Amino acid sequence: MTQTASAPPATRSRTVPPVAAPGAPTLPAFPQQPKGRIASWFEGTPGRMRAFLIVAALVSVVFGLAAAQGFNESDGALQRAEANTAQLVRIQAIHTNLVSANADATNAFLVGGLEPPAQRQHFTDSMTTAAKLISEAATAQPADQKALGELNVTLLTYQGLIEQARANNRQGLPLGSQYLKDASATLQDDSLPVLNELVKANQARVDTEFDGIGRGMIWLIVGGLVALAVLGLSLFWLAKRTHRYVNVPVAAAAVLVLLTMAIGGGQLAGASSSAKDTRNISYADTLALSQARIAAYDAKSNESLTLIARGSGTAFEEAWKESAAIVDQRLARGGSTSPAAARQWNAYKTAHAKIRLLDDDGKWDDAVDLAIGTGASTSNSAFTAFDKASGDRLNDLSDATQWELGSAGANLGLLGWLGLPIGIVAALLAAWGISQRLEEYR
Amino acid sequence: MNKTRLIAGSLALLFAATACGSSSYDATPLPVKETPPAAKPAAPPAQDCANPLQSYRPDGPLPLPNQMPAGSTMARIHSYGRLVAGVSADSLNLGSRNPITGVIEGFDIDMINAVAAAIFGTAKGHVELRVISSPQRLPVLKAPRQPGAVDIVARNMTINCARWKEIAFSAEYYHSGQKLLVQSNMTRVKSLADLSGQKVCAPAGSTSLENLIKANPKVIPVTADTDTGCLVLFQQAKVVGITGDDTVLAGEAAQDPYAMVIKAPPFSAEPYGLGMNSGEVDFVKFVNGVLEKMKADGSWQQSYKTWLEPALGKAVPPQPLYGRGD
Repeated sequence: MTQTASAPPATRSRTVPPVAAPGAPTLPAFPQQPKGRIASWFEGTPGRMRAFLIVAALVSVVFGLAAAQGFNESDGALQRAEANTAQLVRIQAIHTNLVSANADATNAFLVGGLEPPAQRQHFTDSMTTAAKLISEAATAQPADQKALGELNVTLLTYQGLIEQARANNRQGLPLGSQYLKDASATLQDDSLPVLNELVKANQARVDTEFDGIGRGMIWLIVGGLVALAVLGLSLFWLAKRTHRYVNVPVAAAAVLVLLTMAIGGGQLAGASSSAKDTRNISYADTLALSQARIAAYDAKSNESLTLIARGSGTAFEEAWKESAAIVDQRLARGGSTSPAAARQWNAYKTAHAKIRLLDDDGKWDDAVDLAIGTGASTSNSAFTAFDKASGDRLNDLSDATQWELGSAGANLGLLGWLGLPIGIVAALLAAWGISQRLEEYR
Repeated sequence: MNKTRLIAGSLALLFAATACGSSSYDATPLPVKETPPAAKPAAPPAQDCANPLQSYRPDGPLPLPNQMPAGSTMARIHSYGRLVAGVSADSLNLGSRNPITGVIEGFDIDMINAVAAAIFGTAKGHVELRVISSPQRLPVLKAPRQPGAVDIVARNMTINCARWKEIAFSAEYYHSGQKLLVQSNMTRVKSLADLSGQKVCAPAGSTSLENLIKANPKVIPVTADTDTGCLVLFQQAKVVGITGDDTVLAGEAAQDPYAMVIKAPPFSAEPYGLGMNSGEVDFVKFVNGVLEKMKADGSWQQSYKTWLEPALGKAVPPQPLYGRGD
């Protein structure tokens, strides 16, 4: 408010009232129309200074919030990308275990009632692992629960049919083979489509989150630029009004904002680019190797099915070729394979070629012996070695992906917490700086 | 300063509201299942010929093994090194894979082995069994005659006029008839007429299916790819009965103690023939010669005794009928 407002009645006035220009009506000193308290608070230079104070402080706090939001958004996207890749790996592990179990079951069909104990154990282990992974996956991603429930239902049917096939085979009844065929069909027609949907949905989620990692930067930059503009304007205005070059606290607030932008932006860019690297290298390798393993098991099942069909198995052999081509292509990615896995896969392909040669030559029994045998250079021994080598490699790759994603955003969480305090400090600095000048008007 | 506190307070609230950038996802969709439209059983093909059992008369005595007439189908088979036969691997006692030995064996397989032995001197190493389903029987025989094509089908196939238009048959090698199998406690069921409105299974593309529809159109027919496929549906209680040839049903009843073949006489005649390509008449004549020899030297009877007699009782080999193309 102006000093005159509270001046006492001019009984003993020290000052001479301004002489009005002759002829003009005198301006009454009072009764002045009382303005609103708030409006009058912002009147004149000190009022404008107050306005600057409030806007600068407010914008600084908003910058802090925007920065926090930016860091948290990127950090959240990274964490979700990590969680979703983990889920995708889990889903693909379920897929792998199921096709692996089915490869055992179809191979055992060629053997008949006397399944090799190791093969049976492998089947049981695969099913057990799949069952555990399903419940893990349902906990990890609530959006997958319904689909996983459906998958569980189909697996109950599958497992039931397999056990019936076993019981009948054990009694030497040809009926067992029909149950096995039905079981295989259940897996192909009911279980695998659900898994494909799960893979598709999780891949889409991973992609969404990877895309979202860079979005935090927008908050930081927009918030920072607005704050800098307001603080800069305040500095400029103060310099003009107060004839002092730099208001140190306000300038410090601006520097703080600038530093936060630089350091935080650097962190965000770093996290974003290392996430991009992970996406293009470790994650892509993990995905490729998973797909290679699934296709390999499919191929192995088809090898058995070709022999089971005994001469009518052309379609299965075609499917084998398709699956094998996928394996070759996925393994061709430099990072996705290990020399051991590639070598074992080639050994398996050689064994398969020998089986086909024998079968096409009418030596079905010899072909089956080679397909169910477990000795050196049989299809089973080569495949088991490939399974082990590629499985180890997959574990390494998936661990690396998780680790890289985990460490990419290591500092973002901390920055997220620091955002608001930084904003408040900047606001206090700005308020302090401007109120120093305001003091001079009291 | 009051105001600043107010502003700080409301901003803190804003912070709390925006900071947790959680995101939830749409539930993973379930795959959309395409349910194929219920297959309407096609009208049974017309059986318009005088006597389907008529086959081609053998040209004199059989040539000696490994001395097939030059240019004949048998010579082609001989030069290929093995007889390629389409068979069933799951019809117990006719053609089924022994789960323990892995060998496909049965009455039908014995017929194939006899034909192979007549060409090569021994069947061992000269037979390539191809496992085929019921609907595949005609297509594999009609396929172009190239190396590896199926030469002969022995898969409990009924000789009839409609099939004669597509392939050629040997003379009848077993006289079967269609019967009905139900659960052993369904003693009130005496025939197909008692199963109106209920589901009964028969293999797709078989004469059993045609006969079922003809015998009682009120029965709901359900198909499976093989006879054993029907038995699985039966054990899963998805059908109440199975209809098929007495030979097949006997094999199925043997695998399920709760299944029973109804005692009533068969409601259709199912003469079995070996199927061959319709262009290879010389081979059909040769096979008829082999069948005659089997019936004469007792090997037919021996095979019947091993595989079918325990379930079906005594039987004599059917008399061959010739005159086609004469």
